[in-house]
Amino acid sequence: MSYLDLLHLDKYFADVIAVRDFNLHVDEGEFVSLLGPSGCGKTTTLRMVAGFEMPDKGEIYLAGEEVTSLPPNKRGMGMVFQSYALFPNMTAWDNVAFGLRVAKMSSSQIRSRVSELFEMIGLSQVGNRYPSELSGGQQQRIALARALANEPKVLLLDEPLSALDAVVRVSLRKEIRRIQTRLGITTIYVTHDQEEALSISDRVVVMRQAVIEQVGTPEEIYVKPATRFVATFVGAINQFPGLLRDVSLGVIESRNVSGWTIAAQPISDGKLKNGAYVTVYVRPEEIHVSATDNPVDDDNRFTAVVKTITLLGPVTRLNLDFQGQPVIADIKTVDRGRFVLNEPVQLSFNRQACRVMDDSKAVD
Amino acid sequence: MKKINFTSVLIIGGFLLYMLLPILATYVFSIATRWDRTILPEGYTLEWYRTAIADKWFFIVFKHSLILSLSTVLVSVSIIVPTAYWVHLRLPKARPIMDTISILPFAIPGVVLALGLIRLYAHPPLMIGRNPYMLVAAYVIFTMPFMYRPVANSLEAVNIRVLTEAAQSLGSSWPRTILTVILPNILPGILSGGLLVFATIFGEFTIATFLVGARYKTFPMQLVYYTRRDGRIASAYSVISFTIAWVSSLFILWIVTWGAKRTSSGRSSKDKTLTPNVVGDVNELP
Repeated sequence: MSYLDLLHLDKYFADVIAVRDFNLHVDEGEFVSLLGPSGCGKTTTLRMVAGFEMPDKGEIYLAGEEVTSLPPNKRGMGMVFQSYALFPNMTAWDNVAFGLRVAKMSSSQIRSRVSELFEMIGLSQVGNRYPSELSGGQQQRIALARALANEPKVLLLDEPLSALDAVVRVSLRKEIRRIQTRLGITTIYVTHDQEEALSISDRVVVMRQAVIEQVGTPEEIYVKPATRFVATFVGAINQFPGLLRDVSLGVIESRNVSGWTIAAQPISDGKLKNGAYVTVYVRPEEIHVSATDNPVDDDNRFTAVVKTITLLGPVTRLNLDFQGQPVIADIKTVDRGRFVLNEPVQLSFNRQACRVMDDSKAVD
Repeated sequence: MKKINFTSVLIIGGFLLYMLLPILATYVFSIATRWDRTILPEGYTLEWYRTAIADKWFFIVFKHSLILSLSTVLVSVSIIVPTAYWVHLRLPKARPIMDTISILPFAIPGVVLALGLIRLYAHPPLMIGRNPYMLVAAYVIFTMPFMYRPVANSLEAVNIRVLTEAAQSLGSSWPRTILTVILPNILPGILSGGLLVFATIFGEFTIATFLVGARYKTFPMQLVYYTRRDGRIASAYSVISFTIAWVSSLFILWIVTWGAKRTSSGRSSKDKTLTPNVVGDVNELP
């Protein structure tokens, strides 16, 4: 058993299933993100852990004890909400002290604990202000301090940064991770922002339509997506739908007669047979773009035409036309002067960059 | 110099005159010695107030109206506030139904409501009777829109569901959550609702007359009694009634402004004096 175990959780709202057979084991001190589009069931799962929703099936164990039907105020979990949820009638100080007063701590203990928390979030000056007098970022830090005040067994964060602007979002997410690491607190973080989930978590749970698609480290999720959904939801990716020509060599051919042939790695999952419908996935940063006469060592080399050039910051995205199919490739922005619109270029990539997935069960 | 727009002055002036003239006339009439043969009163006196107050019935009816108003506020708060809270917390789908029910009393004239209640409760098989308790019960229904709307608005303004959950996740029990988080945040709504109900019931005549009549005389009943005997004493009664309503209205205005400041765009340092839990350990921050 792990520190927090979610076993076979099901949740229905009327006839609609919100979460189906959800299983997750979280270790003590681990930071796990639930990632997925709106309505995928990630918030419902978090609310079941918090005790605000009762699962229709399944069990929740915390430190070996079943808490499935325990009311939220008895679970010892700290929660941070998307809308901050600070008590408007109380100052920032009173908000943070609320849980400590509930726990009947002495006033001197409360004073020192709240001061410590204010110092930790770097907001010692705003204790006597009301939530309405604080910025969104400050309110969310206060909310974080309030959730941490009682040293909860698990910290739950429900899209805590989505109401904030981009700059604050990035700095606050680093701060959340820093505090979490320092305190070693087990954390479940709900977000629909893939970059946020990948950058902050030890493990990511990708959800779609009430079920888990993949559980893995950020690297596994990005580099080895288990399903088509994960491949396309997390980061940008190129798709080459084709036919598996040779399993042992990993050769895929275009479904059109006069099309391309891609050399991938040998297919070893045992399920795919020659002739199967598959899609080859390649990340845009794995595609190398060069002049047509440039000799390259890559396993796959094709000619394409530059259609658009979009500056994204340190990288520039090229939209290429490859035999009528759009392909995106990310190059270093410093190299972008080498490419001209509507001119042919060579695009190439290695077999290691290819991820081949079965199309026969594909659903979109 | 700012140019005065005569059309605006005419429209607003005309409106104010239309609204205020009868009230002003009542005030003047209540302190006039005689005002039926001249344009302006012949003289001024406080005699009618003295006479009104000297009447042994004055304090009895005042007390009756006060009891009825306060009881209605009390019953209304204890029924409508928890209902509105629960609907907003757990039954969001029932909100449109509650909104409709809460304005129904507007559609039913007082006379119809009173006669309907008498028909049902003062005849067999339910012989509950025509007493002040029944009257309070009827008043709670009659004034439901005045209590429900401000309370519902307060609940909507502060996202009560998330606040409740936040308090619970911090270990707070139901009573503590309601007393320290919910009530303080919807207090402006409860207070303005309560004052609206109070002012309405203090001046209510129709339902009281039909339902209990002379068995439990109220302030407005006595006022009507004097209109038939001496208009000047009736005016004094009216002025007292007006004043109570106006003081209530000023209070409502003040509370609503205070509530709006608290929940939205920052609060001034002056407002902090209204919240007792501001002080204390706050100043001891390092």
